[in-house]
Amino acid sequence: MMAFIRFADSLSAWFGKSFAWLILLMTLGTSYEVFVRYVLGSPTPWALDLSFIMYGTLFMMGGAYTLSRDGHVRGDFLYRLWPARVQAAVDLVLYLIFFFPGVTALVFTGWKYAIRSWSYLEVSANSPAGIPIFQFKTVIVAAGLLLFVQGLAQVCRCLLCLRSGSWLTAEDDVEETETLLMRQHQVQGQTPVSTGEHRP
Amino acid sequence: MTDPQIALLMLGGFILIVFLGFPIAFTLMAMGIGFGYYAYYDPSRMWRAYGRLDDTASWWDSMTLWIDGFFNNRIFSLFINQTYAVMSNDVLTAIPLFLFMGYIVERANIVERLFSTLNIAAKRIPGSMGVAALITCALFATATGIVGAVVTLMGLLALPAMLKARYDHSFAAGIICAGGTLGILIPPSIMLIVYAAASGVSIVRLYSAALIPGFILVGLYIVYVVGRSMLQPSIAPRPTKEEVPDLPALTLLRMLATSFFPLAFLILAVLGSILFGLATPSEAASIGALGGLVLAVAYRALTWERLRQSVYLTIRTTAMVCWLFVGSYTFSSVFSYLGGEQVIAEFVQSLDISPIQFLLLAQLIIFLLGWPLEWSEIIIIFVPIFLPLLKMFGIDPLFFGVLVALNLQTSFLTPPMAMSAYYLKGIAPPEVRLTQIFAGVLPFVLMVFVSMAIIYLFPETVFTIPELVYGR
Amino acid sequence: APAVLAQAPVTMKMQTSWPASDIWMDFARQYTERVEVMSGGRLKVDLLPAGAVVAAFQVLDGCHDGVIDAAHSVCAYWYGKHKGASLFGTGPVFGGSATTMLSWYYAGGGQEFYRELTQDILGLNVVGMLGFPMFAQPFGWFKKEVATVDDVKGMKYRTVGLAADLMQQMGMSVAQLPGGEIVPAMERSVIDAFEFNNPSSDLRFGAQDVAKHYYLSSYHQASECFEFLFNRDFYEDLDPDLQAIVRYAVEAASTSNTAMAMDNYSADLIKLKDEHGVNIHRTSKNILDAEIKAWDDLIPELEKDEFMKRVLDSQRQWVERVTYYELMAAPDYALAYEHYFPGKVKL
Ligand code: NA
Ligand code: NA
Repeated sequence: MMAFIRFADSLSAWFGKSFAWLILLMTLGTSYEVFVRYVLGSPTPWALDLSFIMYGTLFMMGGAYTLSRDGHVRGDFLYRLWPARVQAAVDLVLYLIFFFPGVTALVFTGWKYAIRSWSYLEVSANSPAGIPIFQFKTVIVAAGLLLFVQGLAQVCRCLLCLRSGSWLTAEDDVEETETLLMRQHQVQGQTPVSTGEHRP
Repeated sequence: MTDPQIALLMLGGFILIVFLGFPIAFTLMAMGIGFGYYAYYDPSRMWRAYGRLDDTASWWDSMTLWIDGFFNNRIFSLFINQTYAVMSNDVLTAIPLFLFMGYIVERANIVERLFSTLNIAAKRIPGSMGVAALITCALFATATGIVGAVVTLMGLLALPAMLKARYDHSFAAGIICAGGTLGILIPPSIMLIVYAAASGVSIVRLYSAALIPGFILVGLYIVYVVGRSMLQPSIAPRPTKEEVPDLPALTLLRMLATSFFPLAFLILAVLGSILFGLATPSEAASIGALGGLVLAVAYRALTWERLRQSVYLTIRTTAMVCWLFVGSYTFSSVFSYLGGEQVIAEFVQSLDISPIQFLLLAQLIIFLLGWPLEWSEIIIIFVPIFLPLLKMFGIDPLFFGVLVALNLQTSFLTPPMAMSAYYLKGIAPPEVRLTQIFAGVLPFVLMVFVSMAIIYLFPETVFTIPELVYGR
Repeated sequence: APAVLAQAPVTMKMQTSWPASDIWMDFARQYTERVEVMSGGRLKVDLLPAGAVVAAFQVLDGCHDGVIDAAHSVCAYWYGKHKGASLFGTGPVFGGSATTMLSWYYAGGGQEFYRELTQDILGLNVVGMLGFPMFAQPFGWFKKEVATVDDVKGMKYRTVGLAADLMQQMGMSVAQLPGGEIVPAMERSVIDAFEFNNPSSDLRFGAQDVAKHYYLSSYHQASECFEFLFNRDFYEDLDPDLQAIVRYAVEAASTSNTAMAMDNYSADLIKLKDEHGVNIHRTSKNILDAEIKAWDDLIPELEKDEFMKRVLDSQRQWVERVTYYELMAAPDYALAYEHYFPGKVKL
């Protein structure tokens, strides 16, 4: 079970981190568009399409990575007060009835959606540049598959926690500044904050 | 049960289930699909293909088609369509870019310079360190938009300095918590993009509308800090020469030129080009990110490791916000398909309240939701429920959006989920107690209410700039 | 929802590609009213604006999947699936008007080509029909005057379908956006100039607030019409008489749409000029010539596709014969107009 969790974590992280670099491409691509559009007066026909394809791919492919780091927002003001075993029991049930149906639909219905797009090699209707979007629609399936595998790992985490009474967290990775700083200062005293990731 | 009652069950069930702490994006997704399966349940459609099979069909074909029948429900296609709608939403493309800019600026080693410079510059004002901390927070938070980082970095830098200068614990902590939260309000802010995407209000109008209210709030904060320091000098003693040195004006100017102005310029360039229609928000954000990289290089702060951190954190935070949208798009379209919007509208109509009463009620609800929840889920899930009602009462969604943005400042400051306070507590010296932090934050929460009252009494604070720039 | 009784009316969920305030929602409503009245209440239509279920450009996917039962849109919106889609409304202008081209669809073989594209080539689970021959569309809205083709080069311009390829050919950079997103996109600087369709729609979404120069007459979309889409299973499950009502109401609405368009478009053009201070121009000969030249360059490109070649051949043959008759038969309307309302138009 441990091995599987580690495998899923690194699979999700590998994909998440690889696709994360799209942000750099996106920054440079959009900046290039700004330059040719406002300085040279000849905008590209592809910048708009490319920016949403990169944004959409980025966040979809990051879904599983974020899940493995417990980074999806939870309404956890009660949850965080519970003992780990209770957390694990509740999570386990909710993963089974809440998580897998939707993620399975991403894979299967997403497949039907994407395969149709492949059948006529669909391009974006946003510009005449003919930027392909069939591969972009396939991202739905890929994201679903990654989430499915990571979801199984999260279920394993719940089972392990039920047995041992404590959570198996993901291996060290980049952290938000506040998480890092708080962790460094935790030795100094009791803090009511879990190390869950938090957002802007 | 009628469909609208089912819709209410869906909403009520969701609110209860949220408190079980399961990731909200997937809760929304599951409830959308589950209730959608019911809403779109159509037996004639399910086994249509199965029914058309003739006797010669193989058992495998019949079995797969029979199983497939259960999936012949429109909800699945709707879900995929909505997912794709989020993926191809061109307003949301600005989110990863602004986040990336924020993470880069956050790592550009700028806070320390900024705070020490402003500390000297503000020296003659009562509560000078507080004012300097507040302005540093506001500026830094505006450029990064990331609350946690601002609060913790300032908590490590400004809080010890203020405590050493014998500032009152509560007072000092309140300043940092409230100041660090400003970044989600003052444009360019992620929260406003999310509101725009959830409500359909033009993002550039929202940015321009939030500008004056943002300054009003900062102004009120400063007035409070200065006023309190004047009335009660013991909580904010004037710093000694050792604590804050006196410097010649020229040196100070040079310090400002290398710390305050580059950051202010970056913000102004990004914001100005958006507001004057020189570039789209996404374009401006990409230039901002590039500018942030340049700034980091200039401060010799750009390392491979920091770039990597920024890139990875960007994808995680973007995924967190945008998967919420994936869930909520499906959830809210099923909710309205079942007639949920309608029944809420009828209920509110039956209350027979005036627009001002409605506005107060709505803001009270949002304030209360801000205790246990945070801004992202409140905006993405609950604002779409209020929107159809705004029309009923003749309230401009732009105006409402600005009030919501102000109001949600408090979601970081009110327990049980007062993230700003927790971040600060996480890094503060142990003698700063959580209760002291809450006590220090309270006056700032009141200032938020005052700013909302001002905005309500003088709506021109919201409408002047958008009308000036965009007409109508 | 569950348990539909045998005698209960069928409800058709029809989504448009237009924002709720667009006059085209009224045009769609003329269709749905006809369907409801003619069916004696057996068919109810739930008419929804763009975005209610799916996005404006996603209505074809929505119909195919059955997420909506029907859609009110234009073919150009799905030209990402096949450029040939755009030939049913926004193709090259050989000289025929929208009425000429809609007649080609009904009497000149267009209908079979449309069926071939949607059913055989793309394998879509939809049934479609065309109606309402639109007036030639304005070249559009600009922030400053544009007299020659050089003035528009390098602009980011909104149009749809093959008109996008045409304008790109003329040196513009084109973005295709749904109607409801145009003005916000102007405000956000996603685009610098745009066309949508007609004075009433343009006025209602506030074009006059973001640009003051309005250029009428153009060859980029001189023969468009509406597309009525139905999920095929939904359509085939209807009783034969209801199928006929759904189909022939398209023809009926075509006439009422035309009358409503004439009434509103003309009144709103005057309103734009007099109440909103918009400068109404005719597009210059320089730009019109460039458009025809651009079509010339584009047509051989399009004809590389075997299907599009057949469609274009058929359209050319139709226009060559029919418009010869139309032009020979038509008196000079401008002359009579000038006689009774002297000095109003300078063509
Ligand atoms: Na809170
Ligand atoms: Na048009």
